[in-house]
Amino acid sequence: MNTLASSTTTSPASLAGDAGTIAVAKEMRVGPRRINRRLLRTSAFRHALIYATLFSALSAATLSFIYWSTRDQIESQVDARLRLETDYLINLYKSGALPELLEAIQRRNQIDTYGRFYYLANNDAATTPGEQEGEALPIRLKSIRSHTTRNMGDVADLPPGSPRAFNPVRVAETQLSNGLKLTIGHEISDEKALLDHTFTLVVGATAMTLLFSLIGGLTIGSSVLRRIDSVNRTASEIMSGDLSQRLSVTERDDEFDEIANKLNQMLNRIEDLIGSTRQVTNNVAHDLRSPLTRLRNRLEVTLLEERDAESYRTVMAEAIGDADSLIHTFNAMLSIARLEAGLDSVEWKDAPIGDLTTEIAELYEAVAEEEEGLEFKADIAANPVFHCNRHLIAQAVTNLLDNAIKYTPRPGQVQLALKGDDQNFQIIVSDNGPGIDVQDRERVLQRFVRLENERNSPGNGLGLNLVNAVARIHNAQLELSDAEPGLKATITFTQKTGRDRVSA
Amino acid sequence: MRILLVEDDVEAAGYLVKGLTESGHVVEHAADGERGLQLAVGNAFDSMIIDRMLPKRDGLSLIEELRRMGNMTPVLILSALDDVDERVTGLKAGGDDYLTKPYQLSELTARLQALTRRAQTGVQGTVLHVGDLTLDLIRHKVTRSGRSINLQPREFRLLEYLMQHTGQVVTRSMLLENVWDYHFDPQTNVIDVQISRLRSKIDKDFDTPLLHTVRGAGYKLQEMNSPVEMT
Repeated sequence: MNTLASSTTTSPASLAGDAGTIAVAKEMRVGPRRINRRLLRTSAFRHALIYATLFSALSAATLSFIYWSTRDQIESQVDARLRLETDYLINLYKSGALPELLEAIQRRNQIDTYGRFYYLANNDAATTPGEQEGEALPIRLKSIRSHTTRNMGDVADLPPGSPRAFNPVRVAETQLSNGLKLTIGHEISDEKALLDHTFTLVVGATAMTLLFSLIGGLTIGSSVLRRIDSVNRTASEIMSGDLSQRLSVTERDDEFDEIANKLNQMLNRIEDLIGSTRQVTNNVAHDLRSPLTRLRNRLEVTLLEERDAESYRTVMAEAIGDADSLIHTFNAMLSIARLEAGLDSVEWKDAPIGDLTTEIAELYEAVAEEEEGLEFKADIAANPVFHCNRHLIAQAVTNLLDNAIKYTPRPGQVQLALKGDDQNFQIIVSDNGPGIDVQDRERVLQRFVRLENERNSPGNGLGLNLVNAVARIHNAQLELSDAEPGLKATITFTQKTGRDRVSA
Repeated sequence: MRILLVEDDVEAAGYLVKGLTESGHVVEHAADGERGLQLAVGNAFDSMIIDRMLPKRDGLSLIEELRRMGNMTPVLILSALDDVDERVTGLKAGGDDYLTKPYQLSELTARLQALTRRAQTGVQGTVLHVGDLTLDLIRHKVTRSGRSINLQPREFRLLEYLMQHTGQVVTRSMLLENVWDYHFDPQTNVIDVQISRLRSKIDKDFDTPLLHTVRGAGYKLQEMNSPVEMT
């Protein structure tokens, strides 16, 4: 990750000129922090954060609900008990037996097993129950009862510094008619402790959810970032010129692998295209430079001495011939380049292939009739209508026939056949000449490849390459095979794929 | 004939002017599209040679402008672009023929002749005559000295094209383009063979040959005792 951070930050740094080295060093130091910031910006982290917030909120809400309802439950249980006690004591009070009431309170205070305490106060002034002794009591109850939670220290007479002073206590106060107030307290330390524990659990669980979501988000984010970084790194290497690099594809076959596969396919295509451009450049250098040199030398040598008009005329005619062959090569190269780039649109139409081949066959039949020892046979057995560039198909067939006529020794035979049906058909050009060795058949389809035995015949080594390019643009297959003896060139067309190309 | 040449490559234009002048033509040269337009508007020419890519005003726009102004002088477009699409665009813009650089001078003059002749004769009659050779376009009949000659459909079209350009040099490329609609040159001498077959049918049994080979250029259909038209 560090290396990546430095590589992505070198370009601005290097712009800084003399300060470059320092700048790089500085960038290197802030590298990890930059990575962290990138990590926080990743979509994975962002999503994790959103989920974390949502889940935490949800769990906090659930747990809070549990907490509040538990608290209510505890309070209402305590309050119910307090109400029972209050009712009992008030009944005693209503019966008018104050001493009995006081006795009951005293007794209860002595027992005090449940952390409960009782007392009776006069006019809000706290008095010991004993002081009320002997007074007559009216029967009526004055006020409604109230329940509150207070600190023990506030309601009970405790020795100073008692640890119970801050214990929570549930207090039920009942105002009696003659200024007397009955107070019953119930210590709820245990319940409070339980509630506090629950509250801790609620906070803790929420915090844990948040924490784990964050860690999860960061982990996912950084794993995403790692894979993105690997893509970035490869892309940088490719941009700096190493086209052989490919993105790594794991066995997980996940969405990253899918993208990597697609990008790799794209890179293959780009590499192919660049390779073919490079090949063209090399070919131009080789196959145009040599005839140009020949042309130049021819003219230069002629100029060395004074010659007669006839020699000049001859040399100039030869020079024009050289130029023509250069132009021919050049045109063929352009056509092939254009075909390979798929740049032609106007001339695509539905054309009857049988008529097209018959027309060409007529031309070559005539040639064979004129030439001693050359036999031409045409076997046009179908007339499929095919969506194509008819100029290119005609040129491809013509190229194959030209080759066959050129390389077949006399007496020899050349045959043009169209076979198949409307869906799949084949154009076959065969001869009974020397043929092409199996190991050379792939090679001759490449640009400018000329076999040893044809070095001295005229030609530019582009004929079969052009045929191949024409076949490819029509989604057809060019195959060279043995005609036993001789060469058999078959172009196989299929209606379906031919149409696919056009609609694509 | 008077020819307007609009070509920005001055050296190439110089050779072309020299070649055309030596063949007996009068040539005016303009080095950019605007100048070309001025010359074309102010003078009457028999034909124009206009380069596809020109400074100031593009060749195609020049042709379109001339056609809009009602100038129907035949135009031969010269172009370094030999795309079929480019050719279609050029002809759509109002060009009459399209020639890709580099070209042979003989090819260029032959095409210019063909264009001018087409413009001069206008509507063709339905029966063509060269000497005692007649070709009936409606009845699809060819006769020489009253004798009927049997031609294949493609031979008929070949002869029709030659007769429409009687007295002019017709190149192999012109025949491939106009009779066969092929925009490429086969390596085999298919056109020579077709011509020799046609010749055996229309000339072999007669005293005076009509179909002649012009060395280094192409073919010419002409009655020899009529004055030879210079190209």
